[in-house]
Amino acid sequence: MNAIFTTIFLLSAAVMCFTAPADFLPAMLDGGMNAAKCCLTLFCIYVVWMGLSAVAEDCRITQGAAKLLSPLCTRLFKTKNKEAVESITMNISCNLLGIGGAATPYAVKAVNALEKDKNNYAQELLFIINATSIQLIPTTVIALRAAAGSTAAFDIAIPSLIATFVSTFTGAALYIAFNRIKAKRAAKDKRAKCST
Amino acid sequence: MQYVIPVIFIAVLLCAAIKKVNVFSSFSRGAGEAVKFVMGLIPLLACTFIMCELFERSHLSDAMSRALSPVFSVLGVPSELSKLILIKPFSGSGSLAYLTQIISEHGADSYISRCACVLYGSSETVFYISVVYFAKCEKKRRPLAIAIILFATFISTIVACLLCRIM
Repeated sequence: MNAIFTTIFLLSAAVMCFTAPADFLPAMLDGGMNAAKCCLTLFCIYVVWMGLSAVAEDCRITQGAAKLLSPLCTRLFKTKNKEAVESITMNISCNLLGIGGAATPYAVKAVNALEKDKNNYAQELLFIINATSIQLIPTTVIALRAAAGSTAAFDIAIPSLIATFVSTFTGAALYIAFNRIKAKRAAKDKRAKCST
Repeated sequence: MQYVIPVIFIAVLLCAAIKKVNVFSSFSRGAGEAVKFVMGLIPLLACTFIMCELFERSHLSDAMSRALSPVFSVLGVPSELSKLILIKPFSGSGSLAYLTQIISEHGADSYISRCACVLYGSSETVFYISVVYFAKCEKKRRPLAIAIILFATFISTIVACLLCRIM
């Protein structure tokens, strides 16, 4: 992120120096304003969903759901961390239901729980699954199209479903493959070291 | 679909009431966690948003999308979408603004806007998510994961444009 931030910042600033030097500071201030707005929106979303999730936790609903899916999670994410498995389960169910706002806090919880075990593999796999977007029904887009007067607002649901499946599958498969290769290489190096 | 969310809330709160959980104190405990969480995010988001705004206002994003549009058109991706594809990994609100612009310009049922909708619905703001997810982790940069995600999103972009043409 540091490299991206520095490069884009410097390049944009250099270009603006020539094209619109007066617009430079207002642009940054607008960026800050957008950040503040975004934080407020996020705050509203998280207060509602984390509040609900705390209630669900206290009456042991999340634990029940996690128990159902935990065999799959332990295999896929290579973790036995109960807290992480619970959060991962909730994250994936929220994603599938199309409540993306609710999914993020669970993912963050899971990532922080996995940090305690130094389980980078599971963190990154969860990140990949979320960032390639798994969604059964893209609610925002359908609402937007309906508002713009589309005759068949729902007809993009199936192509979207296929496209998000393709990206999630490609991402997860690639990551798992990369890790297998890395593990094999590490094992080979170890063997080579042992034999010498 | 609109019934899902209220039903979930009713089910959870009813379950809590039956199990004699103190709903109010549990809910406010969760809300308190949300406060801490968002407070930690503010500085990171501020940096990201300032970068996005500069990128957009310096017209660098326009230049980049113009440079990339021949590559996209070879792969069957309409050049009108190149800017959306470039912005999406950085900014959710920026790409949403651009999506509404595309829909109003080309009409809701045109090929371009259907493509744009599928693209928007099947990808995520990768950089933003990476900031939010790994804010509290020791290892903040995940180059391999980000590269894989961008590649996977790119593949799905091509698939999406193809699907919109046949479906």
